[in-house]
Amino acid sequence: MNRISLSRRGFLTSACCLAAAPVFTPVTFAAMPGDNRFVTIVLRGAMDGLDLVQPYGDAGFAALRPTLALTPDTGLLDLDGHFGFNPAAADLMPLWKSRELAFVHAVSTPYRDQRSHFDGQDMLESGGEHVAEEKTGWLNRALAVIPRSDARKAIDVNTSTELILSGPNDVDVWASDSNLAPARDEMQFLTRLYAGDPPFAAALAEATRADTASMMVEPDGQRGEKTADVAALAANMLKGDYRIASFSITGWDTHIGQAGQFKRPVQDLAQAINTLKATLGAEIWTKTVVLAMTEFGRTARQNGSAGTDHGTGGCALLAGGAINGGRILGGWPGIGDGQLLDDRDLMPTADVRELAAAMLYRQFDVGVDDLTGKIFPGLGFDKGSQFLRG
Amino acid sequence: MSLSFPTMAAIRFGYGFRPGEAPPQNKDDLIGQLSKGAAATPDFPLGGPETRHRAILSLQEQLKQIRQDAKSVTDDTTRREMRNGVQRQAQQQFQHDVNLRLMQAVLSPYGFYERLATFWTDHFSTSANKSLPMRLIVPLYEAEAIRPFMSGRFGDLLRSATAHPAMLIYLDQADSLGPDSAGGIKRNKGLNENLGRELLELHTLGAGSGYSQADVTAAAMVLTGLTIDRKEMDIAFRPNISQPGTHEVLGVSYGGRRRSRDDYLDMLDDLAIHPKTAAHISRKLAVHFISDQPDEGMVSDMAAAWKQTDGDLTAVYTAMLGHPAAWQNEGAKSRQPFDYVVAGLRALNAGPVNGVVGSFLAANQQGTDEGDMAANTPGMAGSPVTTDPAGEGRDRRLKAFRTARALGQGALKRMGQPTWLPPSPAGFEEGFSAWITGSQLAERLAWARRATAQFGRDEDPREFLKSTLADAARDETIRVVSQAPNKFSGLTLVLASPEFNRR
Repeated sequence: MNRISLSRRGFLTSACCLAAAPVFTPVTFAAMPGDNRFVTIVLRGAMDGLDLVQPYGDAGFAALRPTLALTPDTGLLDLDGHFGFNPAAADLMPLWKSRELAFVHAVSTPYRDQRSHFDGQDMLESGGEHVAEEKTGWLNRALAVIPRSDARKAIDVNTSTELILSGPNDVDVWASDSNLAPARDEMQFLTRLYAGDPPFAAALAEATRADTASMMVEPDGQRGEKTADVAALAANMLKGDYRIASFSITGWDTHIGQAGQFKRPVQDLAQAINTLKATLGAEIWTKTVVLAMTEFGRTARQNGSAGTDHGTGGCALLAGGAINGGRILGGWPGIGDGQLLDDRDLMPTADVRELAAAMLYRQFDVGVDDLTGKIFPGLGFDKGSQFLRG
Repeated sequence: MSLSFPTMAAIRFGYGFRPGEAPPQNKDDLIGQLSKGAAATPDFPLGGPETRHRAILSLQEQLKQIRQDAKSVTDDTTRREMRNGVQRQAQQQFQHDVNLRLMQAVLSPYGFYERLATFWTDHFSTSANKSLPMRLIVPLYEAEAIRPFMSGRFGDLLRSATAHPAMLIYLDQADSLGPDSAGGIKRNKGLNENLGRELLELHTLGAGSGYSQADVTAAAMVLTGLTIDRKEMDIAFRPNISQPGTHEVLGVSYGGRRRSRDDYLDMLDDLAIHPKTAAHISRKLAVHFISDQPDEGMVSDMAAAWKQTDGDLTAVYTAMLGHPAAWQNEGAKSRQPFDYVVAGLRALNAGPVNGVVGSFLAANQQGTDEGDMAANTPGMAGSPVTTDPAGEGRDRRLKAFRTARALGQGALKRMGQPTWLPPSPAGFEEGFSAWITGSQLAERLAWARRATAQFGRDEDPREFLKSTLADAARDETIRVVSQAPNKFSGLTLVLASPEFNRR
């Protein structure tokens, strides 16, 4: 703690910091070594899993995607002799080789047919069987049933709340470059101003908590809004007493000229994961699972403008020192004649919610009944899940 | 009615009170704004639509030249510098337009019209980030394809928004070709279903309203042929890239042996008066203006007006304003960031003519910024004139320009609602919980401090509260503000109050 400078925040040492005090103290920090961490990254816009992890060993893949399909001869990074990595993700190769990275192919939510981003994201984040069935996020509902109360602290690194973490349980929402900075005597007036308005009172308390914690972990650091800044803030909060963090990476909606457009979000994703690992440090990284997932995959065939349209089966990514990676998980359905959904999309062979449930089970001992009843209603999940072996 | 009519009208249906400006006194005043607002030329794009059309063509020409020159230049740095210059020009014009749009909302006496412009521009979202020319095209899109059509038939608005270059570029329609058309075969290109999908999902029927993937594909097929003339940067219809044959969307066939522009226009007209479109958009309007959970009777009244008039939007707005729920339960919505910033600047905008805020922002249209302003844009049509490139005057303008940007677009970006840069075709978030978070509140407080420091010199917090919130101010807010330790703190508390952040 003594490295933490409060110089930027005279107010923290004054009376107004009472509200923030319980958040971050040497006692709570010291009391929790060994706790697991869980990071979800929502890849908004429908990531093309067939471009990131290309089934170059499947006969016919090249024909489906005349200008998008690569082979090891044209730059694809071979993973296992059948699948290969898009070269834009080269920065993730070290993690793959150290078996701290895995891909789960052909997963999706129960969402079919309509292929709307917004409904797809609703399903992915709310965890229900149908659109708008659940009004809150599954990660928020999970907070209520995590057995250890000190693991129930979550941060959403964003300017506005994401559905995945919204709901009745306390979650702090904080952008990587936010700053509350109340004047010395402003806080008590704001507290009075919001006393009769619960959502505003809650927002002020949240701002105070998150601001204090983010200042504690990066007292004088220059914080920005780039993916690396977002990931670094998330990691720093997880080094404190937050146990769950979520953020998003956008830019995956590649309807046109995909070969060029796909690079930036892939590089963002690689940078986010590498930043998480570097910032968390070796010890915490071994207790961490990162789950990156997207609302659905894209069409198996490239479209008329060298891009892809909205599809169904997609790809999720697992990373962390706690996983048994270096593998492509999930059931591969193939992409040949008769193997595609609607003769168009990669056929989903598993529910991405089962993957999420497995990670909650493994990181926080969330009970099976809670997973299939409260968090993911209607989901089939048991301790024999293939993803628990992952 | 819980609050007085003018208060509800100004806060719920407009951008709040502006000192010296009479708020609407009755429903006719609100509806009357529609024709008055449409008759006034918007302040953006900079220099007006004609100038902008020329500027877009000139940008196209410059980009083409750069591509040609780049062939003979082998040095990467030189190539990058050539492109950077053009990028900077386009970015500057965009910044000016953003500032002009903000000013227009602050200064316009037609708050309801301005709010509708924001609503429809968001409904038919396009983003200036899609490509460099879009920095110049998107402001033009709002000015010429959205604003003039907001009080007529929805079908006309749908036609003008769908067939504007901004939409054709943003949703990739310009790159969609009928796979079996002569042009498609020749160029070995085919369908892109992006616009076809968002047309059904976002712009008309609404997600989950029962259309199928086959309808999406067919709608995209009907739209083939609708594209952009890249030379003129204008829309074009090219039968030789239209997918031949008939295509069935929601049970109706479009097309035929010869494909024509009428095919997609007929489809848009049918979609515009479809009952699901009426229900979807009526609800969306009610959600935007009144409550995240709007009164169902109000929504069905609006949809009924839609049906009776084949989608006359003035009739739909009139039905909304005519329902009692429009005037009850004030403060159910949170002001979105643009709404918040505009309302704040309006509240602080005392003074003659355009007020202090208006004068300040106008002066800063002629400001200067290192490597970021008009001095670097020789020959750019519509650019403001710059004088006195050095010295104290320049420093003062530089500082003022930065302050203006920090209070305007800079703040909106940090609050998550940068102008003309929505995160997706669905536009910005709508719900209360998306906008009232710790992060958001921190940004709004920072803005309120900065804005009152800039503009609050002559204000008394108690008077400011009255002129800004009128009878919407709660007793506790009146008490807290009157006890504030100093004037600026008091003014900040007014802008930070729940009433000021709600509508």
